[in-house]
Amino acid sequence: MSQVRLQQVTKSFGSVTVIPPLDLTIADKEFVVLVGPSGCGKTTTLRMIAGLEQATSGEIRIGDRDVTALRPGLRNCSMVFQNYALYPHMTVAENIGYGMKVRGTPKAEIDKAVTEAARILNLGAYLARKPSALSGGQRQRVAIGRAIVRQPDVFLFDEPLSNLDAKLRIEMRTEIKLLHRRLQTTVVYVTHDQVEAMTMADRVVVMNQGRIEQAADPITLYESPRNLFVAAFIGAPSMNFIEGSLDQGDGGPVFRGQDGVSVPIPAERVSALSPYAGQAVILGIRPEHTAPASGSDPSIKLKVTDIEPLGPHTLAIGKAGGAAFTAQMPANTRVGPDDSVDVQLDAQKMHFFLKSNGEALPR
Amino acid sequence: MSVRTLEGNARFWALAACLFWLAFTLFPLYWVVITSFKSPLGVVGGPTYIPFVDFEPTLTAWSELLSGQRGQFFSTFIASTIIGLSAAFLATAIGSMAAYALVRFTFEVRLLSAVIFVVIAFGGYLLCRHYLGVGQATSLIYAFIAALALSIISSRFKLPGPVLGNDDIVFWFVSQRMFPPIVAAFALYLMYTEMGKLGFKLVDTYWGLTFAYIAFSLPIVIWLMRDFFAALPIEVEEAAMVDNVPTWRIFFGIVLPMSKPGLIATFMITLAFVWNEFLFALFLTNSKWQTLPILVAGQNSQRGDEWWSISAAALVAIIPMVVMAGLLSRLMRSGLLLGAIK
Ligand SMILES: Nc1ncnc2c1ncn2[C@@H]1O[C@H](COP(=O)(O)OP(=O)(O)OP(=O)(O)O)[C@@H](O)[C@H]1O
Ligand SMILES: [Mg+2]
Repeated sequence: MSQVRLQQVTKSFGSVTVIPPLDLTIADKEFVVLVGPSGCGKTTTLRMIAGLEQATSGEIRIGDRDVTALRPGLRNCSMVFQNYALYPHMTVAENIGYGMKVRGTPKAEIDKAVTEAARILNLGAYLARKPSALSGGQRQRVAIGRAIVRQPDVFLFDEPLSNLDAKLRIEMRTEIKLLHRRLQTTVVYVTHDQVEAMTMADRVVVMNQGRIEQAADPITLYESPRNLFVAAFIGAPSMNFIEGSLDQGDGGPVFRGQDGVSVPIPAERVSALSPYAGQAVILGIRPEHTAPASGSDPSIKLKVTDIEPLGPHTLAIGKAGGAAFTAQMPANTRVGPDDSVDVQLDAQKMHFFLKSNGEALPR
Repeated sequence: MSVRTLEGNARFWALAACLFWLAFTLFPLYWVVITSFKSPLGVVGGPTYIPFVDFEPTLTAWSELLSGQRGQFFSTFIASTIIGLSAAFLATAIGSMAAYALVRFTFEVRLLSAVIFVVIAFGGYLLCRHYLGVGQATSLIYAFIAALALSIISSRFKLPGPVLGNDDIVFWFVSQRMFPPIVAAFALYLMYTEMGKLGFKLVDTYWGLTFAYIAFSLPIVIWLMRDFFAALPIEVEEAAMVDNVPTWRIFFGIVLPMSKPGLIATFMITLAFVWNEFLFALFLTNSKWQTLPILVAGQNSQRGDEWWSISAAALVAIIPMVVMAGLLSRLMRSGLLLGAIK
């Protein structure tokens, strides 16, 4: 059992409060990714779990132990750092086995653990090399090797892939996922890359200014973001937002925005949205839920300023309803800058947020 | 721009200036070398420049020096070596620990505690000495212990007044090198003789001189090593902390090996300082633990201006430093001092 619980944990540096009271429970064997913009307190949270930073108040438990006041070494966590933090004067084998050596493990046992870790991570050929003679990806694997021989209760990763190039990052992503499946250990993983978060996590914790905006599995985050922040943060290219209000139109309630935007509310959502009639709301729609107007779905007029042909489809970037808007078009669409196109919105996939506090309206 | 890109006259002048400077710096060394091979008559009989042409070289000065006719040459050389190596080693070892602590831990010393220390140390000494009639050395020891104890105890309380941090402590260390060493040398001599009266012989002993050198090398060592440690990536130590490596092992097993280049450079700088030091050695030794600079100077005062033997002794004092400078520059060229942290 190595559940991690943070209860009312806060952190201040001097008079600056970085983490207001934070509650987070990470289940045993769960792969949780903390994601958020730079400076939102992900690293601080992770370091508090590791014990490298002392929580200002609150309680941190790993399994059924209260570790709040324990020093890092006694928490039985393993941490992998962004810049690898290998011991530069030791070989790969010594790097991986150093912790065990310090704890007085017999040499034969160390060798066995090192060989096993090297096998899992494909490091066999490099065991006698110094870190300076390794590539970034190999160094990162050594750092992971050093973490797994510890047999920790919890793995902590702080942006482990951000120093790698795009291709290697995708490979390592898969490797870490496989490793988690094989080792069945709780993982807390920090990244600012929402794609990494979505692809790796059992559960994604979206943080902003030290607060948790939403913690849920990737699909839930994508399909029903709880507020504007999460909606804007998750997904690439990110969601389009049009400001307006919910009004009563001729044929039922409509969303009205600037520049004559008028989007009828689908019948099945009317009852959930009617209490908010007359209020300022924001309509959110992801680019992948737009298309050139054709069917019965509501449509808006997009003034195109730029196009981005991506291959499988083309993005038309411009303005609609007084706001920046990106629409996804089939690859063969002939649009160019300065064109005006009708873009249809998938009525089922529209999100509505209250302008006053950014909360998502019920579906 | 380099000399290679210069053309014509400019190139000629640049080269000439460089050669002139080279001759200017090398000439004294050359002069010392040939003088050490001259006979007494050859020295006093007017300047001669080229061996075998101008004068007939002799080994008189060297044989006199090495046979011990001119002071205990071998024992002085050995004393210099032992004191130099051990003082440099101990100063580097102790200084690195202090520097590491100053880089990685936060210290808060209340100014008032420091003031308490100074006041009790001086006041206690004067009190013991003049009103209680205690001996000099004993009063010193009592006053020092009382001052240390009281300032440590007082630092436990939240005293009012400014709080000094790590930078202030480092400045305090370095500031000790700012006053003229003669002040300290003289005071140290007095203190050592007083201790001698108590039965702890310190003047002209190994420990006496080594202690003095350690104390006076520490500020530089701390200052140099602090920068080296501060440049180390802290994550490496944090990784070890998470891995439950005890602090002392992090220091000896990870931090020191990572800062090996810094340690070597600091050791050599300290060794050079101790090797060349004159003033403390002059005050604190008289025969047994005399060092080379004293011996060289002594060639002059004891027997008048015997330049041939002064030259030979000076060369012996210079050569180890030349060898060390050579080693240091080779280390630098092989990149050991630069690329080790990666
Ligand atoms: N030692 C410190 N002293 C003062 N403020 C700090 C300290 N460490 C972090 N902070 C502040 O705490 C906030 C959160 O920092 P943290 O490193 O946790 O951010 P992060 O989410 O990891 O960001 P990034 O994605 O850039 O790594 C930042 O505003 C930072 O300035
Ligand atoms: Mg961070």
